[in-house]
Amino acid sequence: MVRGELSRSIWAAAEGLLSAPRPQCTRTMRYVQRSMRPTTRLISTTRPRSAELMDETLTTSPEPFTAASEINFEDEVEDEEAAKQGKSDQKKLQTLRIVPASPSYFSAKPTFTDDWIHLSALLRSVATLPTVPNSEAPRVAWKTIDQYRIMTNEPVKTQRYHKMMHILKRLNCIHPSLMPEQVRTAMRRYMKDSQPGDVVPAPGVIDEWGRARGVGRRKTSSAVAWIVEGEGEVLVNGKSLSQFFGRLHHRESAVWALKATQRLDKYNIFGLVQGGGSTGQAEALTLAVAKALLVHEPALKPALRRAGCITRDPRKVERKKTGHVKARKMPTWVKR
Amino acid sequence: MPPSTCLWTLTQRSPETAVRFLSKIHPQVVYFSTSQARYANPSPKKKTMTAAPKRGTKTLNTKKGRSAAQDTGKRPAPGDRKQARKRIVLTNDNALAVASLKDMDKADTTSETSQGQVLGIPEATVDALRAVEAFKTTQGWNLFRRPATLMRKETIELAKVMNEAEGQKRTLRRILSGERLSGKSTLLLQALSMAFVREWVVINLPEAQDIVNAHTEYAPLPDSQPTQYTQDTYMANLLGQILKANSSASNPFLAKTQVTANHTLPVALPANASLKQLIEVGIVSPEASWPVFLALWRELTQPGRPPIMLAIDGTAHVMKESDYLNAQVKPIHSFDLAIVRHFIDHLSGAKSLPNGGVVLAATSQSNAPKTPALDFSIEVAEARRVNPNNIPRWNPYKNIDPRVMEAFKDLHSPTAENGAGGVNAMDVIKVGGLSKDEARSIMEYYAESGMLRAKVDDGFVTEKWSLAGMGNIGELERASVRFRI
Repeated sequence: MVRGELSRSIWAAAEGLLSAPRPQCTRTMRYVQRSMRPTTRLISTTRPRSAELMDETLTTSPEPFTAASEINFEDEVEDEEAAKQGKSDQKKLQTLRIVPASPSYFSAKPTFTDDWIHLSALLRSVATLPTVPNSEAPRVAWKTIDQYRIMTNEPVKTQRYHKMMHILKRLNCIHPSLMPEQVRTAMRRYMKDSQPGDVVPAPGVIDEWGRARGVGRRKTSSAVAWIVEGEGEVLVNGKSLSQFFGRLHHRESAVWALKATQRLDKYNIFGLVQGGGSTGQAEALTLAVAKALLVHEPALKPALRRAGCITRDPRKVERKKTGHVKARKMPTWVKR
Repeated sequence: MPPSTCLWTLTQRSPETAVRFLSKIHPQVVYFSTSQARYANPSPKKKTMTAAPKRGTKTLNTKKGRSAAQDTGKRPAPGDRKQARKRIVLTNDNALAVASLKDMDKADTTSETSQGQVLGIPEATVDALRAVEAFKTTQGWNLFRRPATLMRKETIELAKVMNEAEGQKRTLRRILSGERLSGKSTLLLQALSMAFVREWVVINLPEAQDIVNAHTEYAPLPDSQPTQYTQDTYMANLLGQILKANSSASNPFLAKTQVTANHTLPVALPANASLKQLIEVGIVSPEASWPVFLALWRELTQPGRPPIMLAIDGTAHVMKESDYLNAQVKPIHSFDLAIVRHFIDHLSGAKSLPNGGVVLAATSQSNAPKTPALDFSIEVAEARRVNPNNIPRWNPYKNIDPRVMEAFKDLHSPTAENGAGGVNAMDVIKVGGLSKDEARSIMEYYAESGMLRAKVDDGFVTEKWSLAGMGNIGELERASVRFRI
């Protein structure tokens, strides 16, 4: 064997072990199988974890794992024969030991075990920090077990995952002002990509004419209302309130957001309504006017919520089903 | 003997011998016949279960003792129901009398200072208004102790019009238009009451529908070209109303004034007859009512006589063909009815009032047939006030009534000055919503009458004003007095 070839091949082997990804074709095959059978039939075929992940979890781990120290081959070789170079290379190859990145490499679910150990250690290290009650902790959408299984590609048992969730929820209860950055980074791994409160609706604006726009819906009606500062004039589809709504009750519904907050004489309303009947149209206007009013005065939100102008009433006509007379009514029973 | 062998023996013989043989066996021979069954008495019909009569069909109910026990309630006498429906109630004893309420007097009807005040209608005027049927059952007079009205912006505008008509002896014509329940008929009533207070002669056609709905007799007017039709009973009744309304104790104009011209009447007049006697002739003999009315009109238009207030409510009904038929069984156009013709001539400006006066036509939104020509004319008149260069155009796909368009041609010109009778002789008064001050004033009156039990402050007034569709007075009354909780 030519000199230097050995070292090159060892290097290549080590490289292959570290970085070579598993062939994609086998993976797709496995996914097909998985989709047909339940997750319990998953075989642990962990792919090598990325360097980034290991950095995140292992290097910063509070209780780092240390493998046995390396064997110093050079000392042994030195004593014997320095002249026999080729033989010593072969011997080196025989004594080569590949150390796994994780101590749980030989367990059934190495990633999960690592996660578990890491989180438990983390909790032990931060257990003394003050906490807030669970109800006051920031709301977090955790990954579901299926999402976690897909991420780790391991058949994690539900119960185990729940236990891990307990730890995570306990970590989340650390007082937000004292939350260590390390915990925050660690928790991010188990959160869903989108969190509640991520999507913030664009704040309403008052345009150059002083108008604020609001949209409301009820039953099958939808309403758009523009509100400007004024003295209580109302136009709905170009008609006055009394012309558009015959019933006094509907008129009161339409301007209820302003009436409940004693602001009927401060604003003018221009509403456009379509669809549905008069009740739906009036109550769609309630919502639209309330939303437009919130643009002018955001502090009114609690008052409007108490007045029932914030929540959209989701009730609609239930569809008729086959075999039923109406949505739920069954035909009368006839004895043959 | 078994029967089969017996029949066997029959078949072996010839038919004649078989018959003889049978007659030997049975002496009476019965031939096949259906007549016996046909002539028999019909068997008594079986009592079968029949289906119950359909809902809504009348059935004879002869069960004993049932009708006697049922419903002993007293039915109203014939005519009672109609009388209850048509009854005008002008007082409410349970309402409080408003101490601060002032009667309308002549000074109020000529100045602008009374705008926004609630003024009571004087007793004599109430009687006169009752006589001309100016009060309507749908109006809320029965809620308060005595009739009172709010002097709103439009009332003052009308008062100014009356000032001008009286001062300059002009004939001013106005059409009252506006939303439903916005107070058009009440504004007409206010105009009539102001006319009574100013001692004008008032002739009011209380409801246009009653003239054209073919409920009164009619006859062609002789020597009229094209043929006009008179309604004698209606005219006699109208003359009665004119007489009753315009002869109060304080203003005995009709009784004092003598007939000056020589009229040709079918009935003879006494010498030196007063106008009152002239009218009474028309009331007593309906066939003479139309000539009497013309004679009265001629007397009223003599120089030195008071101005005339000529008014009609529900104008749209006379802007189409009436329900009367002519000799060719074609509908008669309302303008061919003599009284309507008379009114329209003055409304359109074809004839004028030499002593000055106001011709008023109130429209209705709740009881009005479709009259595109009238609607269009009002629309144009309202648009030209805003911008004379941007007036709407006639929709050619709508059915036009050329006679109506001709009558309202003064409203169609881009400027109001071109019409007959001078500047602004004919115009539309748009009866809109009350201002907040006016709304507050009327609501304070409601509260003082005890019909509104709430604190009348700015917030309350604004709330009701908004809910009433920006101060629609009828809706305001409904929201604050009628539908109170």
